[in-house]
Formats: sequence, structure tokens, C-alpha cells
Amino acid sequence: MTQLENELVSIKEEVVSMWNLVESQLKKARIAMLNFDRDLAREVVLKEKRVNAFELKLDRDCEDIFALYCPVAIDLRFLLAILKINNNLERIGDIAEGISKYIIGSMGDFDHKLFEEAGLIKMFDDSISILADSRIAFEKEDTILARSIFKKDEVLDEINQNAIDRISEAIHGNPLIMKDALYVLSIIRKLERVGDQTKNIAEEIIFYIEAKVLKHNEEATTQN
Amino acid sequence: MESTIIKSVDYNGYFGDNHVVKNVNIEIPKNNVIAVMGPSGCGKTTFLRGINRMHELIPGATAKGKILLNNEDVMEMHPIFVRLKIGMVFQRPNPFPNLSIYDNVIAGYKLNGIKLPKAEKDKIVEHSLTRVALWKEVKDSLTKKGTFLSGGQQQRLCIARAVAMEPEVLLFDEPTSALDPISTSTVEELFHELKKNYTLIIVTHNMQQAARVSDKTAFFYMGELVEYDDTKKMFTNPSDIRTQNYITGRFS
Amino acid sequence: MANKVKYRIGKSSMFQGLTIVLAFACVIPLIAILIYIIKAGIGKINWNFITNVEKPVGEIGGGIAHALVGSMLVILVASVIAIPIGILCGIFLSENRKSKLAYWSRLSVDILQGVPSIVIGIVAYIWLVKPFGYSAISGSIALAIMMFPIIIRSTEETLKMLPDTLREAGFALGMPFHRVVLKIIVPCGISGILSGVMLSVARIAGETAPLLFTAFGYQFLSVNMTKPMETLPHLIFKYAITPYKDWQDLAWGASCILLIWVLLLNILTKIITRRWKVQL
Repeated sequence: MTQLENELVSIKEEVVSMWNLVESQLKKARIAMLNFDRDLAREVVLKEKRVNAFELKLDRDCEDIFALYCPVAIDLRFLLAILKINNNLERIGDIAEGISKYIIGSMGDFDHKLFEEAGLIKMFDDSISILADSRIAFEKEDTILARSIFKKDEVLDEINQNAIDRISEAIHGNPLIMKDALYVLSIIRKLERVGDQTKNIAEEIIFYIEAKVLKHNEEATTQN
Repeated sequence: MESTIIKSVDYNGYFGDNHVVKNVNIEIPKNNVIAVMGPSGCGKTTFLRGINRMHELIPGATAKGKILLNNEDVMEMHPIFVRLKIGMVFQRPNPFPNLSIYDNVIAGYKLNGIKLPKAEKDKIVEHSLTRVALWKEVKDSLTKKGTFLSGGQQQRLCIARAVAMEPEVLLFDEPTSALDPISTSTVEELFHELKKNYTLIIVTHNMQQAARVSDKTAFFYMGELVEYDDTKKMFTNPSDIRTQNYITGRFS
Repeated sequence: MANKVKYRIGKSSMFQGLTIVLAFACVIPLIAILIYIIKAGIGKINWNFITNVEKPVGEIGGGIAHALVGSMLVILVASVIAIPIGILCGIFLSENRKSKLAYWSRLSVDILQGVPSIVIGIVAYIWLVKPFGYSAISGSIALAIMMFPIIIRSTEETLKMLPDTLREAGFALGMPFHRVVLKIIVPCGISGILSGVMLSVARIAGETAPLLFTAFGYQFLSVNMTKPMETLPHLIFKYAITPYKDWQDLAWGASCILLIWVLLLNILTKIITRRWKVQL
């Protein structure tokens, strides 16, 4: 293996580590939310520093590889994709932190019935699952799996779109849950953004493997 | 902390009255690959050849200053002893055309009149050719003349010949500029292996090569050592504006 | 325009034809000489011829044994003198291109090449024959002086053609100068050096003029270098101008042998050059 190949393998491992970390952040946030576990939430907030450190290191490592090896073709696309994916993952990390901060700042446990009605639990589960899918698609260079993410993201979009109706209904039924309902809405919005970020990641994966640019191409990403 | 194997102190090189290398002070750590780059005529090759006292072979060439190899001044030692510790590989592959591949590898011993038992010679030949990833390719044709190999193989043979002398330092004067791209990358792969056992100093015209293969890079311009730093730093954020202009191609 | 081109094409073909014709014209005299001498001399050669020494006129069974042996000895000694000195001088000139000594040396060699052989013979006469008398060794020395320019020049030219990178490779391996020259440079150039040596031998094999004043001539088989000795060219000269037919026959036979000798030397040179040529 050439030096460049070694560097690319090691950067791939780094990205996957970041991925795993961000996934675990989201999972912890979910558990913290369901069990109203403030300690777990604080853990997530602390670990966010690690996520940011990962982003900085990956940026620097990519810069070094560009400078030293002048990669071309698939190697070049790979590194460009990693720079973007890096960014996307960091934002997902921010979202996990944000959700955890809600839990820390909230007075008491949320209304679990509300979770069911708004579809929050399904949304959380789905977003974690497509994030995991994106990681596997990246590791295995599986563009079919990557493309399947577009479809699954639509489910998240749907829940998000229906959220306002469902939540206003719930508030109508019981005005006391207003605060909780607003939190739930926020969390749903955040999770929808997780879905978007993951969709972007999938686009980058397809770009680097197939050299096809699917960004801003509505037709291509909804056509699965 | 890496130990320094070669240190030059106010080294100056001249061709007659022409002051070609001006006051070079550089410390080279052991088991590293150091690239020396710069535009044509900047003195990098003259400096390199000064290290193993080949510079003075050119009529009219002189040098001043010190070059310390493990704290011994190379300029005070007899050139022959220096060259036994510091090997050199040249731009054009130059295996001895009258010798077989086997004899080429141990040429440093054989032609110097050093007699070795056959078993030991065989060991040295196999060891050196393995070090340059040539053993498998030529082990069945060791008696063929060295000049029947391809350019890249010939260059690796020359490296094997230098390595067979078990030097501490290997100097390379634009080792791949006469080779095709595939041979070039084969030779570049070697550098990573070789640095485990030797210290390599490589003069190159090709700055991408300097970026790819070296740990530290020295940039020469008009006889002066302008900048000397870790390669990563040199190519992402050089300290001197002249270095930046050179590597971005603002002047060749 | 087309006419001009036709004219030029015609001119070109004529020129090419002319060069071919003239090439033949050079070969024809050689072939003519070869045929004539072989025809005239081959009949005269027999075992007797080669092993007998000359007999007085009228006696049958004269031979050229003494001249054959004499020629070989004189040439051998001349080679032994000229070859080492010539090669070393050639090495010096090729390794020291610019020094003052090299310049004057080269100039002297060039001038020496142009000195007529008879002048060399006379000079040898004054140096060696006047004080010490006629001797084979003075003949060898005269011939050696003639061999110098050829050996020196061809050695120098051969070694100059070897790339400097070869020398550099040698020095970089820690070799001292004398080893770089003797173990790398000379072996790589051996074919050119050897061919220079063979050419010089072929050149002097047939030289008569210097021998006239030095080795002189002798009727009997001798191996004493300090005394006069018979040589082939001298014998041919001596017999050819006599009016006696059997001596003239001897001269024809000897010419034939000398011719074959020189021919063989030249062919040997070609073979050696090819066999020992080092592919750079």
C-alpha cells in the first residue's frame, strides 16, 4: 500500500469513529429523554467537546493530505466528501447536545402520551437508524443503501409536517401541556434536521463513489 | 527527541570564484527522509555532493565550513572513509556495464579489493536486493549483466549497490528524474522502507515528490537555505514568502 | 515547380549512385592486390619454405624461417615496450582533459603520428645503432615509437567516450582513483583499447623503412636481440630487387605470407572488438 492509501485508510477510520460517537450521542439523548435522566443528558453535553475536536482534526488531516499528496479522481472526491460529512456529523452532534440541554433545563418529565401522539419516538428511532445506515453505506461503499436513505428521510419529513397539527390538537385537548408540547415540537424539528443532515451525507457518499452529484437534485433523491 | 546524524556548520561551496552554496546550517535527524528542493542552480546538488566529498572531484571546486557526521567533521576525514559511510545514488542509473547483477551489488567490496567468503557475499547480495524490492525479480538472473534491466530496475540496483556497503546515510541526487512514473513510484515506496535503517537525503526537482516522501524539507534558493521544516508545515503554511512562491508555482 | 522537383530528385539519385560507384572504386584496388599476390605467392609456400633459412643463389630449398622468427620477435618486443606505456599515457590523457601537461602531450602525440617512418628509423640509427651497432632491439624501439600514437589515441578516445557517471559511481563507493581507472574504466573500454593495440601491431608488421637502419638484416636464424636480425619486410625488399628468379620467388611467397598475416590481424581486431564490447 502506498503512503497515500495508508493515510486514506486512517482518515476513513477516524470518520467512522466520529460517526460512532455521534450515533451514541443521539442514542443517549433518546434514552435520557425517555427516562428523564439528567445525568445522562449532562454526559452528552460534555462529550460534545469530543465531537468538535474530531471535526477540527479531520479538517486538518484532510488539509495535510491535499497538500502532501495532491490526490485526484476517487481519492479527491473521497476527501471532499469527508470534509462535508465531517461538517454534517458535527451538526448532528450539536443537535444531540441541544436535545440534552432541553432535558437539563426542563422542570420535570415530559408527557409520554404526547410523545406517542406526535410520533416523536418513531422519529427518534428512525433518525438514529438512518444515521447508522449512512455509516454502514460509507464503510461498505454501498450506494444502494445510501439511496435508500432518501426514502426513509421522507418518513421523517412526513412526521415533521404532521407534527404541528397533531401537537395543536393535543394542546387543544389539554392546555396545561403547552410547555411540554413546545419542547416536543422543537425536538421534532431538530430530528428532522438530523434527517436532512443524514440525507446530505448520503448524497456525498454517492458523489464520491459514483461521481454523481445529487445535491439540489430533487428528482434524483425522491425517485427511489 | 530524535538524534542528529548530520549537521552542517557554516558550509560554503565554491566553483572557482563562484559562491554557489552560502552559509548553510542544517541539522538532519536520524532515520528520517529529508527532501532538498529548489529551482535550478540554487545550490542544492552542490550541497548534497559536499556531504560525501564528491564536490571536490570537479576541477576548481572548493568548500569551507564543517559537516559533522555523528560529531566527526567530514571535511577533516579522508574522502574514502567518508564515502564508505555516506552512499550516493545518482540521477541516471549507472550500474557497471561490465559486471553482472550479482557483481554490481557487491561492487563496493569486490572492486575495492575486499575479499569475502562466497557465503557472506551471497548473503549481502540477497539482503541488499531484498531491501530494494528487487530480489524476487532478479534472483534467477543474477549472472546477467546489469544493463539489461529496465530503467527503474537499474536504479534500484544502484540503490542496492549503495546499501550493500551498510552506510549510515544515503544521498540521492534527483533519483527518479530519469525514470517513468511507475518506476518513480516504486522507488518512492522504497524510501519509506529504507528510512528504517538509514537516513535519506533526497535532492529533487519535483516538489510533489518532496511532499510525498519526506519527513522534513529544506528549500534552497540562490545558494541559501531559505527554510527547513517539517514537510507538513512547509506545504500547508510555509514561513517564508519565497518558499510559498516556489511551491505554488509562482516562480519555477 | 514540378520540373524543379524532378531535377532535384534526379540529382539526388545521381549523387547516391556516385557514392556507390566510388565505394566500389576503393574496394577494387584492395581486391586486385589480394588476388595478384595470392596468385603469385601461394604456389611458393611449402613446409620447406617456412622452415628453411636462406641459401645462397643457385642452391635449392631456400626459405624464410629466419625472417619469420625475426619479424615475430621484433614485433613482440616492440609491443611489450609500446603497449603499457601507450595505454597508461592514453589513460592519463583521458582522465586529465584540461591540464597543461595533457595539452602538450596530446600535441606531441599528434605530431609524432605524422613523422615519416624512415625518419624514425634514422633517429633510432643515430641514438642506438651508431653507439651500439645494428641490433634487433633498436628496430623494436623504432617500431614502438611508431606504435605510440595509435595506441595512445585510441585508448584516450575510447575512455573519453565512457560517461562520467561511471567514474562517479566508483568514487561514491569509496574507491581510490587507481581502482576506479583499473577496475571500472579500463575494463569497460577494453574493446576499444585492444582494437587500438591490434591496429598498431598490424601497422608496424609491414614497416620496412625503420628496419633498414636498425635491425638491418641477417642470413641466419637468430634470437639475439642485441645483434642484427632478418625481418619479413626487409627480406622482401632484399630479394625483390635481385635479378635471381628463385630469390624473387621467395619474395613473392614472403609477400603473400605478410599479407595474410596483416589480414588475419585485422580480422582478429574486428572479432575482439565485437566480443569484448561492453554495452553501455
